[in-house]
Order: sequence, then structure tokens, then C-alpha cells
Amino acid sequence: MAVKPTPVPDDVTRFYWDGARDHELLVARCANGHLSHPPAPSCPHCGSRALEPHAVSGRGTVYSFTVVRQAFDEAFLGEVPYLIALVELQEQAGLRVLTNLLEVEPDDVEVGMAVELTFEARGDQALPQFRPASDGAAGDRVGAP
Amino acid sequence: MNRAGREVAVVGVGYAPVARRGTPDIRELTLDACEDALDDAGLRAEDLDGIFQYSFGIDSPISVGTQRLLGVPNLTAFNDIMGTGPSGLASAMDAAMAIASGVCETALVYRTITQVAGHTGALRESPTEAPGPMQFSSPYGFGGGIILAMAMKKRRRLAELGGAMEDYGHIALNAREWAALNPRAVFRDPITMDDYFGSRMVADPLLLFDCDYPVNASCAAILTTAERARDLAQPLVLVDAMAYGTGSSPDWMYADDFVFGGTISCGEALWARSSFSASDVDVAELYDGFTHITISWVEALGLCGIGEFHDWVDDGRTIGPGGSLPLNTYGGQLAAGRMHGLAFLNEAVLQLRGNEGERQVPDADVAVVANAHGPQCGAMVLNAG
Repeated sequence: MAVKPTPVPDDVTRFYWDGARDHELLVARCANGHLSHPPAPSCPHCGSRALEPHAVSGRGTVYSFTVVRQAFDEAFLGEVPYLIALVELQEQAGLRVLTNLLEVEPDDVEVGMAVELTFEARGDQALPQFRPASDGAAGDRVGAP
Repeated sequence: MNRAGREVAVVGVGYAPVARRGTPDIRELTLDACEDALDDAGLRAEDLDGIFQYSFGIDSPISVGTQRLLGVPNLTAFNDIMGTGPSGLASAMDAAMAIASGVCETALVYRTITQVAGHTGALRESPTEAPGPMQFSSPYGFGGGIILAMAMKKRRRLAELGGAMEDYGHIALNAREWAALNPRAVFRDPITMDDYFGSRMVADPLLLFDCDYPVNASCAAILTTAERARDLAQPLVLVDAMAYGTGSSPDWMYADDFVFGGTISCGEALWARSSFSASDVDVAELYDGFTHITISWVEALGLCGIGEFHDWVDDGRTIGPGGSLPLNTYGGQLAAGRMHGLAFLNEAVLQLRGNEGERQVPDADVAVVANAHGPQCGAMVLNAG
């Protein structure tokens, strides 16, 4: 049976996957205070190359989602129907993470619903995932740091 | 009007026969389309000194390969534009800039495509590792790529701007209405809104009828200076303005503007340069690889306000034959097949010439053409000279 892909960290993304193994979601924070994802050599807002890892709360809302009803990947044939979503993190408007949505039925997902971070073991890595927030609240959006 | 350089005209359009199946020789397809365009312009291969093409690399001959196929003596301008450009229109945009700046006089542009290369929805083997850019998508079962991105854009648009799923259906129904008047189109039977909603769900809420149809095809166009064009037989069609657009933090997934990508920035730049404004547009040819792209462009180009498509389209009346703003008057890629964007330019030219017979938009003087979405947008305004 086909095996789901394991991410391969590189010099730019290593901090992210190290954080994930410690069950932390880390994004990049530039010298001007912008948060960005996915990890890259510079900030897409201002081009700053002075980036630091920044832990986020893992709370956010479903920005959009799709229900995959026709598999495109052999390894995910058995998962259909499954959810792919963009989650907007509470720390910054426009800060979005691509994820599956776990522990929820497709019919129960809505744009705007509160979600929280969880992790899925994948090979020797931990894969950040999201599930409905257990307390039903997305948390207040924090102003830009 | 803000423009540096010589006025540019589109003087020839051509097509190879479209086929739904088979494995054609892409050189034969290209020759068919390019010879058709040369005939249409009343030009010969030796009159060309520029060739530009856009493709994903494997499914279209390179520009100098086509130079060789046609027997053109030499090119003083040429380019092969990668898939990251604004689809087939990109070739015409490059050609227009080369001609306007004086680097060449008469340029051929084309897009050849095969049904196999155009088919993005196949089941594929899963690699066991996800390196590089795949790190943040493959592990989640994102093999559908652009299809999944488009599904999420459709859902976000509806959540953020309102409207109804039927808005998307009207793009699909409209394509068939116009295709019925186009002998070259592959799908010429009308569909109903029930048919639209009954089509296969590809990735919820993206339906099969939201997606264009892969074909074996080629289309071509010839551009030259307006001065030269006035000596040729076809009615004069001028390039009034053009613009690219990418938007901030450009990316198919992580752009600041997920719903519109670079379309709004492109539209702003386009009208800032044009002699015309959105209210002057008589006919619009807007990319429909996915119905979401078409709706985005209608609003981004100011044909209606942002979020107003639902009311503006008036149950489809606005955009169909006899409507106040005819849209995709040859059937688009939804009904005429995925020719990857250049056919929208060709159709605009045919409309502005005034000789399109059954599907002629009356008094078409100003056309707008737009291609692609996300971080790779391009648009052009053309007018009857």
C-alpha cells in the first residue's frame, strides 16, 4: 500500500520541523514584526532576511476548505472523502497554513469555524494538523506584534 | 493614453482543427495553426521576424523550432515563456512589447497543447518523501494542486462576498450558449443549471463543469505595427493597452489576496494605461480554465463592482447573445477546449473585425482580454481601428 509522504527538512525549513517534533507550531518573524509561512529565506511582505522562529498559539479559523472526493494521490485513496483547509492563524490576518482537518465530518465544517493545532506522526517527523477547537472559541485576534 | 513606442495591431488569427482524443504530432498542429494565421493575415513565413510562445515546455514546439518548421529565415526577437507566465496571452504581450519597442516588425505567437498535457486531474503515485516546496502540501494529500486551490477559492469567495453557486453555473451555461454558434467548439449542446449541479464533484465545491476541457489544439496570431497593418486586407484591430499583475505576496496558495490573486492589480494598471475605461467595453474574453477565474476578472476589470457579479449577471442575460456585455463569445475553454488562453485574444480580434456572422456582437469597438489568475495575470485592451 502506498505510504503517505514524509516531509524532508532543509536548511530553511529545519526550524519548523524541529518545532513540530516538539509539538510547537513555529512561523518566521521578521525584524519588522511580520509573521510569515511557509518558511522561506526572506519575509514576503518586506524582503527582510532577519528572520527568527516565532511560536504561535495554534489557534485560528477555517479560512477555506475543500472536501477531496476523488483522490489525486494513491496514498490517500483510502482517506476519501478527506478535508484540506487553509487555516488563518489568530496572530496575524493573512497568516495561513495548509492542513487537513481531523476529527470532524466534512458536513460539519464551515468557513470561519474555530480550530486548534494537533499533530500527526509521519515517518520521523510530526505533521502539524488542525481539528475543531475543543472550547469552540478561536480566541481574540492579537494585534500585529 | 500612456504608451511608449509604436502602435501595435493584431492582423492574423489561426487555428488547427481541435480533437478530443488521439496523440497528434505537435509540429503538425503548430503548422496548421500558424499557416492558418499567416493566410488570414495575407502574409508569408518570410514576412515574420519574431516568434513567441507560451507553454509548459513539453506540449508545444519552441519558438525557433517553429521558425524551422515554417522556413522563416531569421528572428530578431523570440522567446519561450514558461508556465509561470500569464498563459497564452503572455506570448502576444511579449510580441506587442517587442514590436512597440522596434526590436522586431512582425511576430507570430501560438500555443499548441495536447489533451494529455492539459489533463491535470489524474491519479498519481505518491512519493514517500516530500522535499522542497512539496514539504507543506504533499503530506496533506494535495496532489490535485491547482484543482484543490480553485475549490478553496470558490468556497472563500462565496463565504466572503456572498452570491450563489449559480453564479459559477452561469459561466458554464454561457459557454455552451456561445459554443452553439461556433463550429470549432467541442461542446455545442446547451446545458441547464441542473446539468451544472449534476456534474461530477471534483473537489467540493468544484464541479466538473467548473473546469475546462483538455483537447489537442493549436491557435496562433500575428502581430505587427499599426502602420504595416493598414496595408493588409483585414479590418484594423489595435492593441490599446496591456498589463501584467501579480498582487502582493504572490503565490497560488499564500497570496495576500487568495480570492482574486493579481487580477485586481492587473485591472488597475490596465485601465490606468488605456484610452478607454471599463464602461467602454463591448465584448469581454476572460479566461475560463476554471469558472472562478472568469468571475474574478469580471469584477477585477471593473465590469461590475467587487462582489456584485451575482446581481450584474442577471441570471445569465448580461453575458449571453444579445446581452449588454457578451462574454467568451466562442465558448471559452469550458466549451471550445483548453487552448490555454490565446484563443481569447483571437476571438476578441474576430469580434472587433465585425465579420463573425451569427455570433458577432453588434458594434463591437472595444474588447478586453484577460488570462490566468493568482500570481500570473495578464490583460489587454483592443479596439477597432
